[in-house]
Amino acid sequence: MLSSSLSPLAEIRLIAVRELRRSIRSTKGVAIAALTLAGACIALLVSGWMDAGGRELPSAEVTQAQLELRRQAIAHATGDPAFADDVASMPTSLLAFLKITVWFSPLLVALLGFDGISGELQHRTVRFWAVRARRSSLFAGKLLGLWALVGLVTLALNLLAGGAALARGHVAIGELARWGVRSWFVVFVIAGAWAAMATLVSACFSAPILALLATFAAFFVLWLVGLGGFLSRMRLSAEGGAQPAPTLWYEFLYPNAYDTLLMSSDPARVLGAAGILIAFVAIATGAGSLLLARRDM
Amino acid sequence: MPEPGIAVRLRRVTKRFGANTAVDDVSLAVPVGSAYGLIGPNGAGKTTAFSMMAGYLRPSDGAIDVLGFAPAAVDALRGRVGVLPQDAILPPGDAVGELLVHLARLQGMPAAKALEAARGALAEVEGADWWGQRCGRLSHGMAKRVALAQAFLGQPDLVLLDEPTAGLDPRVAWEIRRLVQTKKGRTTIVVSSHNLRELEELCDAAAILDRGRIVAVGTMAELTAANDEVRVHVARGTRPGQGRGELPLQALRGLPMVRTIDFDDERLELVVGFDRSAADAETVIGHVLTALLHSEVRISGVSKGRGLEQRVMDVTR
Repeated sequence: MLSSSLSPLAEIRLIAVRELRRSIRSTKGVAIAALTLAGACIALLVSGWMDAGGRELPSAEVTQAQLELRRQAIAHATGDPAFADDVASMPTSLLAFLKITVWFSPLLVALLGFDGISGELQHRTVRFWAVRARRSSLFAGKLLGLWALVGLVTLALNLLAGGAALARGHVAIGELARWGVRSWFVVFVIAGAWAAMATLVSACFSAPILALLATFAAFFVLWLVGLGGFLSRMRLSAEGGAQPAPTLWYEFLYPNAYDTLLMSSDPARVLGAAGILIAFVAIATGAGSLLLARRDM
Repeated sequence: MPEPGIAVRLRRVTKRFGANTAVDDVSLAVPVGSAYGLIGPNGAGKTTAFSMMAGYLRPSDGAIDVLGFAPAAVDALRGRVGVLPQDAILPPGDAVGELLVHLARLQGMPAAKALEAARGALAEVEGADWWGQRCGRLSHGMAKRVALAQAFLGQPDLVLLDEPTAGLDPRVAWEIRRLVQTKKGRTTIVVSSHNLRELEELCDAAAILDRGRIVAVGTMAELTAANDEVRVHVARGTRPGQGRGELPLQALRGLPMVRTIDFDDERLELVVGFDRSAADAETVIGHVLTALLHSEVRISGVSKGRGLEQRVMDVTR
């Protein structure tokens, strides 16, 4: 019998679709549902907080002065005036929810992805695939399956948050479509970088619990790097008065730091940030493929 | 390039795990179309050798060719090699049919053909009713049969089976042996097993491993000396002599095809070595039994050769 050919892309697609299906159907599906519900609760809380404090006005009623006030507040909170310019007109509830979703995305990725490869290495289930798929396809398929899963969960969260804001009259449907899609895009691209790192860590261990701990540890270190960069930049900004401090190089190691660039109205900044995050994915895929190719299964 | 007549070739293969050498300088060749056994006690290195053939483990030294390619050459070997790993657990959340279709698709089959192949493979292991069941809900025997179905999915040229009947009840083990028997001749089969009777029944040839090294290799007839000797078990109390009920060793030595006669009085076993060019084992058995019955020796059993079990005991420590 001659061997049948299958392109790497076809292999990756088959593995990614199966991974997505497996995740939704397994006990992980329960965790996903719980996380989505928790996200919905947060969305409602944010929305309620906005209402209670009279912090959110229908956008049609926002005056230029209020817009400027909001811009200054965002610039102060983030240390990034360019970002403040870009999102000043974004409804506050959606902006708050975007920030919360971006902040939680590594946690979501870690919980959903830690056992993607390690779980199958532990029980040697991976051996059923090892004779049928290139190891690089196995890695890329697992990664894309996880990324797609996180994308779906965050889409559901965004729809819930948007629905809550719409129901309370904080946003018009047109605004929701405009900002909602951008918000989801930002979270989705950032989640890709986290998913790549989680899959890479998962491929290093054949015990899922170790993979989970190592993923949390790696993500925590990156969070500290990001936090350190943010605090340093805020300090420099305070010392420099009105002059905004430039972003510090090591902040770029922290995927969440790209949210401001991805929300930019300048397409070059968006593409640049997305390109760097995709590079994270590509580097992790290369490293993970190499690791799987070299390791015993 | 594929080596004519050879399905699997190991050339001086060594596998080390840290300071421990699991497989040490092993060379062997599995002929195309044969059923080949990997035999040995625990820790002999047979599962490690098997895992290297399947591409799960990389050799520390040496080279392996599977159908003319390195075991890791997935694309070149796609759909041509099926593997039943010993201790791999089927993904518990996947439905049986869905899993088989997915694996068939990865073997390069289009969707309709994959569905047909999956149904066929499952029917062969008498598991057609399990199509919609989750793998995690299958019993051990059912899971083993599903794993066997995936190994034979798409009629591969080479199938590697690691302990195919381990832990199964006798009926399921028999069914699996019967299934493997039906595949013999159409595909090359490599079986790693502890079950020596099973291997003797299934295999044409085998390699016996001990402490990571090959200690004997050959066809099953060569390993068991089935073409060189016959063994007769006699009743307790039987001794060599000329009287009634005694072993007529002189008369047996006088048979034209007989080369050697030995009697093990502990095992109560008469070992008759013969010249295979002068007679086959069945002819020798006829002559020997005639002589023994003439002397009214009470016989409790006859076998061609020493049996695989005895051979393994002889060459392993």
